[in-house]
Amino acid sequence: MTELHFTRPVPVRAVPEGTRPVVSLKGITKRFGKVLANDSISLDVYPGRIKALLGENGAGKSTMMSMLAGRYKPDEGTIEIDGQSVRFTSSKDAIAAGIGMVYQNFMLVDSMTVAENVLLGQEGSLFINPAEMEKRVGELARRYSLDIDPGARIADLSMGERQLVEILKLLYRESRILIFDEPTAVLTPEETGNLFKALWNMTEQGKSIIFISHKLEEVIALADEIAILRRGRIEGELDPSLIESKAELASRMVGKEVLLEVNREPVETGRTVLEIKSLTGLGLVDVDLTVKRGEIVALVGVAGNGQKPLVEAVTGLTRPPVDTVFIMGHPWRKFFAESTWNRSMCYIPEDRLGLATLRNQNLVDNLLLTTRKGFAKGLWLDKKRAARDTRELIEKFDIRPGRIHALAWQLSGGNLQKTVLARELYRQPRFIVAEQPTQGLDVSATEEVWNRLLEARSMAGVLLVTGDLNEALQLADRIAVIYRGQILGVLDTADADTPSKIGPLMAGVID
Amino acid sequence: MWDFLIPLFAATVQSGTPVLYATLGEMMTEKGGVLNLGVEGMMSIAALAAFWTSFTTGSPWLGFMAGGIAGMVFGGLHAFVCVTCLGNQVVSGLALTIFGVGLTHFLGVPYVGLAAPGFNPFDFPVLSQIPVLGEIFFKHDMLVYFSFVLPVLFWFFFRRTSFGLHVAATGEMPAAAAAAGLKPVVLRYFAVLAGGFMIGLGGAYLSLAYTHLWTNGLSGGRGWIAVALVIFAFWRPGRAVAGAYLFGGVMAFQLRLQAVGTNLPSSLLLMLPYLLTILVLILSAWRGRRIDAPAALGTNIEPEG
Repeated sequence: MTELHFTRPVPVRAVPEGTRPVVSLKGITKRFGKVLANDSISLDVYPGRIKALLGENGAGKSTMMSMLAGRYKPDEGTIEIDGQSVRFTSSKDAIAAGIGMVYQNFMLVDSMTVAENVLLGQEGSLFINPAEMEKRVGELARRYSLDIDPGARIADLSMGERQLVEILKLLYRESRILIFDEPTAVLTPEETGNLFKALWNMTEQGKSIIFISHKLEEVIALADEIAILRRGRIEGELDPSLIESKAELASRMVGKEVLLEVNREPVETGRTVLEIKSLTGLGLVDVDLTVKRGEIVALVGVAGNGQKPLVEAVTGLTRPPVDTVFIMGHPWRKFFAESTWNRSMCYIPEDRLGLATLRNQNLVDNLLLTTRKGFAKGLWLDKKRAARDTRELIEKFDIRPGRIHALAWQLSGGNLQKTVLARELYRQPRFIVAEQPTQGLDVSATEEVWNRLLEARSMAGVLLVTGDLNEALQLADRIAVIYRGQILGVLDTADADTPSKIGPLMAGVID
Repeated sequence: MWDFLIPLFAATVQSGTPVLYATLGEMMTEKGGVLNLGVEGMMSIAALAAFWTSFTTGSPWLGFMAGGIAGMVFGGLHAFVCVTCLGNQVVSGLALTIFGVGLTHFLGVPYVGLAAPGFNPFDFPVLSQIPVLGEIFFKHDMLVYFSFVLPVLFWFFFRRTSFGLHVAATGEMPAAAAAAGLKPVVLRYFAVLAGGFMIGLGGAYLSLAYTHLWTNGLSGGRGWIAVALVIFAFWRPGRAVAGAYLFGGVMAFQLRLQAVGTNLPSSLLLMLPYLLTILVLILSAWRGRRIDAPAALGTNIEPEG
């Protein structure tokens, strides 16, 4: 269970009385169109401490940190550094103020050495000497006990080592506040342990660290303070030494309150549309799951616990082991070899503007993306009919702007999702895989998507992958909880105690 | 035997020199992440600009500079299309070649057959006394001697100056350069302009040193050879020298063979350098060696958002 190669040297590091926070966010609010990404957030970060920001995907963690790093400007509220109110106009200002961010995708030049990458733009003179540069970077690495060869080429390094290079870049610029956005996503457990030791070392030398994550055990193991972010608000701040259980943390992270309700009339179930039989591999462990026509089965869990490989195996993006996945009663291979454009399976991906649509194509072409076989006349495409049907769908789903020549990227998140939904339902699917279908949508768009999915039950079975517990409880007939690639339980939504059981299961706690 | 080889090698150095200038110029451009297929057109127009300037002012040095500046102007056009307007680098480069070659033919008509003051060979003090090597390398004109230094300068620029590191970072990963507080757009302009200047010098060599006469089609495909040589050289100046002289050698060799008279058709011999490039490329790919192209070569810097 505990794969974490890290134990903190001291259990508690209290902030001495009267210490001034190095960073102080005061009432920060940020909107993107109608979506409220951050709602009057206040947060203090103290010198020499690790502050963890815990929250699900889309909770607003990255937006908040992007404002601190100077990439966005807050609509309301102020940021204070050392008690001074600052206004960043670019990331340069933030860097100058001592704020450094390690992004999930590294900004490193693969063909250059560690030293060259660290010193890029900071060489200090026109003429450079590789040996001297390596010496300088080597000394810096030693000071913070980071184990890395400054002369190595980035291309030859592991992900963990590359991350150390990113950290060295910040340390060289004397950043005092280091922000890590999901730093362990690309690391092995051992590398994670090393990273944590390095982070702890840095705080011992006075650096402040903001650690963004949705992995509960990491946050509990590392942080001095935990702030929980949910739906753009700080849900609470906790002391990790006082946390009774991971389950408590998990349920606070996903929340329980009902924000939106829909009427769900049960529909008679029909034939089995998806059957997964003891699927092991791809990061999954002995997964069994069935979905029948007329029902919605929700797959919930903290992000990164195997939802992605499961969806990819079901939708044909990766090949599962033989005889584990059966769709409409056919083995995986046979199904995808013979699948038709309609009355079959459809997929509503999480990545709306990447996987689901072509950003620079208009709505007609985006409709044709998965339905073109339905508009084929021999070698030709019946574009006229496609345009007519697109127009009908725009009207039926109230997609704005109501022009068929609008390009995908011009649509708001909600309208884009409605477009994808309209297209996929046009195919009269028998089985729908919907992945985070309402993430980032406002209330009315969410309700619209929910109702469409409920309606679709009359012809199809739905596998709903979601991180939103309320969504699962509102829509699903059954809820499967996934943890570390394993389905720990399948709960019936009709049971009164289901909501309280989900939290512990998401944290991997089985009674 | 030596009586045949020494003049052949000396001719090799001479015919390799314009290709070396152009190869280093294209390499500079590509190190900054921009592919420039306009080398042939740039060499053409630069040869004419150099010839015209030398012809009217009587100064070959002014002509040489004019060639470089002409290359730089064309490079600037390419940079504007690709770096500022985010145009397609391949299309822009090809257009530049067609435009440059055509314009040269058009503007050069009145000068065909005329001579301009150029660079003449002289014995380099001391070094030309070295047996064999002196004969091969140090009985040329000034521009050849300058081309000996250029690869070293090139190497020094990219390995020992921070500015060179910045240019290379822009060619590898503009986003990383931007994150480090550099200005990738400015750096790319620099690479294309500096590269254009060197390509222009290669063109100037053709009309001021290789011949002193103006004729049509002076560049004769050397621009394309330079583009191929950059790949052949794995973006390294030292290998560019080897490549340029290899091509120069084959060119000089086939001229000599034609003069002696042989049954082999000359077009077949002319093809040899290109065949060689393909073979080397296949070989390097087959050995699994990742060719060290700048990672962002040919891709434009998309503005954020």
